[in-house]
Amino acid sequence: MSHSLSRRRLLQLATASAAGFGLTACGDNGAGSAAGGDGDTGTITVWSWTTAAEALRGVVPDFERDNPGIKVDVQDVGEPAIWDKITVGLASGGKGLADVLHIGVDYLPGYLEKFPEGLADLSALGADKHKDAFVKGLWPSVIGKDKAAHALPWEVNPLGLFYRKDYFDKARVDPESIQNWDDLIAAGPKIRSASGAYLLGIDKPGATQDMDFFQNLMQLQGAFYFDGDGRITLASPAAVQALTLIKRLNDAGLIADLAGEGTEKRLLGQGKIATNPNPAWAVEYLATKFPAQKGKWRVMQPPAAVPGGGRSALVNSTYLAVASSSQRRKAAWRFVEYALTKPAEINKMFASGGVFPALTGAYADPKFSAPHPFYGGQKVLGSFVESVRGNSGATNFTGDYSRALKLATDAQSQVLLKGADPATALKAAAAQLAQQTGRQQAV
Amino acid sequence: MSLAPTERVPAATAPAGRRKPPPTGRARPGRRRVLTRRSVPYLLIMPAVLGFALFKAYPIVASFWISLTTGNGAGRQFAGLANYRRLLEDPLFWTALENTALILVVQVPLMLGLALLIALGLDSSKVWLRPLWRLGVFMPSLTGLVAAGVMFSVILNHDAGLLNWLLSLFGVDRVDWLGSPSWARVAIVLVLTWHYTGYNAVMYLAGLQGVPTELYEAAKVDGAGPIRRFVSITLPQLRPILLLTVVLSTIGTLQLFDEPYVLTGGGPDNATLTVTMYLYNNGFKFFDFGYASALAYALALIVSVLGILQVRLIGERR
Repeated sequence: MSHSLSRRRLLQLATASAAGFGLTACGDNGAGSAAGGDGDTGTITVWSWTTAAEALRGVVPDFERDNPGIKVDVQDVGEPAIWDKITVGLASGGKGLADVLHIGVDYLPGYLEKFPEGLADLSALGADKHKDAFVKGLWPSVIGKDKAAHALPWEVNPLGLFYRKDYFDKARVDPESIQNWDDLIAAGPKIRSASGAYLLGIDKPGATQDMDFFQNLMQLQGAFYFDGDGRITLASPAAVQALTLIKRLNDAGLIADLAGEGTEKRLLGQGKIATNPNPAWAVEYLATKFPAQKGKWRVMQPPAAVPGGGRSALVNSTYLAVASSSQRRKAAWRFVEYALTKPAEINKMFASGGVFPALTGAYADPKFSAPHPFYGGQKVLGSFVESVRGNSGATNFTGDYSRALKLATDAQSQVLLKGADPATALKAAAAQLAQQTGRQQAV
Repeated sequence: MSLAPTERVPAATAPAGRRKPPPTGRARPGRRRVLTRRSVPYLLIMPAVLGFALFKAYPIVASFWISLTTGNGAGRQFAGLANYRRLLEDPLFWTALENTALILVVQVPLMLGLALLIALGLDSSKVWLRPLWRLGVFMPSLTGLVAAGVMFSVILNHDAGLLNWLLSLFGVDRVDWLGSPSWARVAIVLVLTWHYTGYNAVMYLAGLQGVPTELYEAAKVDGAGPIRRFVSITLPQLRPILLLTVVLSTIGTLQLFDEPYVLTGGGPDNATLTVTMYLYNNGFKFFDFGYASALAYALALIVSVLGILQVRLIGERR
């Protein structure tokens, strides 16, 4: 290498570099602008987490056999790390993203709203023909501003109330008599004194921002943080009713505090919780984590949040999407379609990962009507299928769900830790949500 | 800027006294070499400057631009100071700032005072096995921030935590370290003090070892007692190190994120929410990059003002 690089040449090179850098900076205009490709062969990568990733790996051999030329690499990115990775990838124009992304309903509308070009248009690849194959209420979540589908539903989580039958028997409480939460609150002290167990547990300080129970109580009333038009309903009568029920449970000393690592698992293992409102994935979770409690648990339809109200709710759902930046969008779509629209493959994944399928065609499998030994021979999966079919509509998570979740968590903590009035706390939370998002409040 | 041909002075007609020495090495006549005694230092620092430009300066400038915009992804619109105005009206921002200030006011003096005491102890020749004690004091600062957070979440657990178990041996009721707003703040102070005291103690120790012993000997001869010697010799001699630790601790506390993120998630009821955690939430959970950037600039401004104030107040007076 010559050392005769002149100062002028050096300056020229530096100027050229700076100009290039500046152009790069100008050209990198943010989200979803990556130029992908419609490759139909090659290796595609899939991002998922834990048991779901394991379940997806089970599909790969069949898929690769039926689709020569495509290889699939399923990566367990971990949860919640996957959300940061996807968010950063989308924010940088799709750079570094996998071809196929596993996304929860709590993030999907946000991604579609904030990064409208980040996820591939699957309608253009033929997704719309599967629209009616999934549980009612899920399809609106996959539709972007462009009215096209950007994901396919994989998992749906209908709500059930798991309960300790032995504790109910001991307290002489007939599960059939529990029609709504008023009934359960009335029975709570009897169950508590007979078994020594709390009725249920909640993360009172809200460190994990697990607001499923509050959301369940709203969803049972057909409500959520936002209405169908995206207006804020966090201070609606349904929300106030939900938080008031939680306050009544707490004031009656029926709620265990689930704050802290593994507290829920420990209390369940010690038999200190009598009921567990949880979605379908908990069927296998309870059976595998607490085998010593075999025969003691049962499942019922969740009690209505208001007397005479609905008794079914979809807690959440997850989806597979294809990144717009993928160089092999067609190959990626073929994998998504193969994994999520074939009942045999879906049920194989359900068997290995406990991911309750959103594909209604999967429910014809005999396992959905089989008795479950852990639940004393009760046909628990069948009850969840009934719950899914009885579900009335979509929950509008919107792109501001995370912010609403945070404010709802704060409101619940204020009620449980400081004795705040539910209506007042929710009114303040809704006002703050409106101030931060620019959304209107309904009513 | 280029020189016009008429302005060029041919080498042959230049006055003899101003003629430059003939070129050496392989450089061609008429071209100046890059590798000179004067240019080499610049070339040596160039990688750092380029690295700074690429990975620091560009994000800093880009972030400022983003803080002036609203919108989603590629569709950003210039919004002037709207994000900054929004920030002033956001109660969560003020809560986060208040929490951070509270930790700063309580934890930093506590930690630095403790570090100074430990350093004085470690500096004493009367302490047996001094290297071992020094290592023990410094060890916590080697622990990863997240690992420390996870470890303390186990120690501070309400039902099964080690600390509550220890307290129960003395008949003290269980404390809801992470579940009560006030105790959660105490827990954060506790973890931060555990983590960073040793680091500061080692800095003070280095400072103490640089104080000339003649000063102490002279003071002794003049009849000064230990407290007088500490106030009149040790503290003034440590002033630069004290300033350094105060400024570094202030900046570190204002950027506090990992410990509350792992331990409390900012709760309960935002009692441990810090500005950087709120910034992170806005960027990575709410996808509100414009507002998150505005928060970053507000924080940078606060850090700068506090840093300057501290340097003015504690720094060497000239």
